[in-house]
Amino acid sequence: MYHKFCRLCHSIVIAILVLSIVGCAAPVAAPSAAPAAEAPAPIAAGLEVCQGQNLVLASMTDQYVAAFRALIPQFEEASGARLTLDELGYVDLYQKLIADFVGQTANYDLMTVDIVWSGEFGQNQYTLPLDDFMARDEAELQLDDILPVAWTLGEWQGAHVAYPLAGYANVLNYRKDVLEEAGIEPPATQEELLAAAQALTDPDAGFYGMALLGAKGPAVAQDYMVWVQQHGGRILDDEGKPALNTPENAEILKFFGELFNYAPPGSADYWWDQRETAFRSGNVAMMEGWSIARAGYENPEISSVVGKVDIAVAPVKAGLEPKFGFGGWGIGINADSTPQEQECAWQFIKWLTSPEIQKEWLRNDGAPIRRSTMTDPEIVAQYPWMPVLLESFEKGDGDYRPRIPQYSIIQDALGTHVNAFIVGQVTAEEALDAAQKQVEDNWQ
Amino acid sequence: MVTTDHQISTQENRWLARVRRFRSREGAYWVMLAPLLVFVVAVAIYPLLFSFRISFFKYRLTDPNQVQTFVGVDNYLRALQDPTVLTALRVTLIYVAGTVIVELLLGLALALLLASEMRTTRFVRSFLLVPMALPPLVVGLVWKSLYNADFGVIPYYLKQMGVSVGRGPLAEPAWAMPAVILIDVWQWTPLLMIIFLAGLKSLPTEPYEAAYADGATRWSRFIHITLPLLKPTILVALLLRTMQSFKVFDTIYATTGGGPGSTTTVLNFHIYTVGMTFFDMGYAASLANVLLVIIAILSALYIMLLERQQL
Repeated sequence: MYHKFCRLCHSIVIAILVLSIVGCAAPVAAPSAAPAAEAPAPIAAGLEVCQGQNLVLASMTDQYVAAFRALIPQFEEASGARLTLDELGYVDLYQKLIADFVGQTANYDLMTVDIVWSGEFGQNQYTLPLDDFMARDEAELQLDDILPVAWTLGEWQGAHVAYPLAGYANVLNYRKDVLEEAGIEPPATQEELLAAAQALTDPDAGFYGMALLGAKGPAVAQDYMVWVQQHGGRILDDEGKPALNTPENAEILKFFGELFNYAPPGSADYWWDQRETAFRSGNVAMMEGWSIARAGYENPEISSVVGKVDIAVAPVKAGLEPKFGFGGWGIGINADSTPQEQECAWQFIKWLTSPEIQKEWLRNDGAPIRRSTMTDPEIVAQYPWMPVLLESFEKGDGDYRPRIPQYSIIQDALGTHVNAFIVGQVTAEEALDAAQKQVEDNWQ
Repeated sequence: MVTTDHQISTQENRWLARVRRFRSREGAYWVMLAPLLVFVVAVAIYPLLFSFRISFFKYRLTDPNQVQTFVGVDNYLRALQDPTVLTALRVTLIYVAGTVIVELLLGLALALLLASEMRTTRFVRSFLLVPMALPPLVVGLVWKSLYNADFGVIPYYLKQMGVSVGRGPLAEPAWAMPAVILIDVWQWTPLLMIIFLAGLKSLPTEPYEAAYADGATRWSRFIHITLPLLKPTILVALLLRTMQSFKVFDTIYATTGGGPGSTTTVLNFHIYTVGMTFFDMGYAASLANVLLVIIAILSALYIMLLERQQL
């Protein structure tokens, strides 16, 4: 019995060995049979440093992630590097990056950096200042072609802690069919915007003038800061200290609150995606928002307002010098990655932001940073709204949301108390006093 | 040659004897327990002690130099004076009371309804377990879209019935708390139903037979026999759900984010904000310890009650 059992064991072991040898042998034999035409492409000039490197890029899941998906294989082919894309939502991305930086684990070599993170990342030396690379390769970079406002995507106290990647302008999207029918011109001032929103709202028909962000947290805080900027208000005083509860800001908050009377009832709970859904489903006449979403309104798979939308520069308060909210993403290099990885990561940034690749980047849902791409006839033919974007970029204000290390504290306080005002729990003055106190209590 | 063999066998015997002695002693238990103890110390005791330690320090996680400054009990004093913490505590107590009371009553009612062994009741019982199997975050996201004032299913039917939904259940200050409590009730009532079913099945039949013979009504049998006998089970269920409910985070995070205003900002959500948004780890640790003490006191109270019941 025992011998039988042993023989069975031996047979199993031999079978496993044979199978593993056959399994190992198969891939070895494959390359010899492969035709010569499938040999790897030659490495492009300047990208030799990337040969054999293994990089990981953490990207926000904004529209431009589609452009990353399309372009990364091209870079891998041109450089011989392997670049893994990790797509993360906003909060996840921020927290994973902070964990990676604090633990100095360098899991991510490259990361998309929100414009408002640049102060925090710069002060804490999380990302590598790119100034040395930029000075060395200045001849190739065509820096003058990058719009001045785009440099706010990663500039902190004179250093570049991230490189411009995707510039967004705050623009006014409107339903041209609805406005034409009502005989209303696209609003050029905030006062006209309010009047148009009021005139176009018809709750019985389920149609509203404006779509706004009202949900507690970053959503309502960021939308309120857009209106502060458009009305000439300020979040910080001359000394860089928080100044949330000024009488001017209280008036702006009341104006912002009044707009909610002409927004869909659920707006007080809207995040970005729900605001987009409201506009795309055709229930709303106007919406201020980031320019990157514009192309999506012409996609019949996700939009029922194809061909009915136009954009204009965001209206400012009458009499104010026009300045437009600017935001978006930079791309940074982990300060804890090895020098070889950092060099290759810089080559990727250089390659991606070069004028030729920028055209591909835009065609695949990326967002612009270069004047040459924004004025390129092919690009303008594909995206006819590009001139409005260029005008918004030229008068762009990348600091309307303070790019300081304490930004998250300001955003959290405004996110809670502006929302409390919107739902009618407190007055505008009470809301801003409470927000100011919360910021002062937590200021570090 | 003989001497050598003899020496070896003597050594072997000694070694075996030592092992035998070791096995019989308590030392063996410690060796067996060691891997588990190391694991518990690493994943539970060490973080707990670390959190206790940093609650006495000013420590910002994102500080590049990782400076930790000793501040004594300042973080705890700050917590007692922080209006947000006091609001969060009040909100947490409302949430716990709302969820636990409704779930206990509904769980007991369902258990009584489905205690009989019929094919339908067995099917319904297993069907009711589905919500429990879902992660709270997914449940939160699903309910958030169900509640949406403009595109959600619930406001749609409410509007059809002529009920005004205003800004939607999650954005109306008066409705946000009941709305998040309902999500918890939907998900966790089945757990209480199972606990009560187990309790009901283990009840002795004699008292019921005697009561039946004495002509007791169904209601008086429930009040005078079932409820008193079920008391230990009810206490276990109460303890379990209260502790879980105090720690709620996922559902709030996925639905209201603590809003509107601070209406649903429970203590655990506030701790998350202080820790993971402000990265003020010392203060967050002190708040977490306050929550820990509250839960520990409640647990001790319940356990004392439970022991008294069993005596």
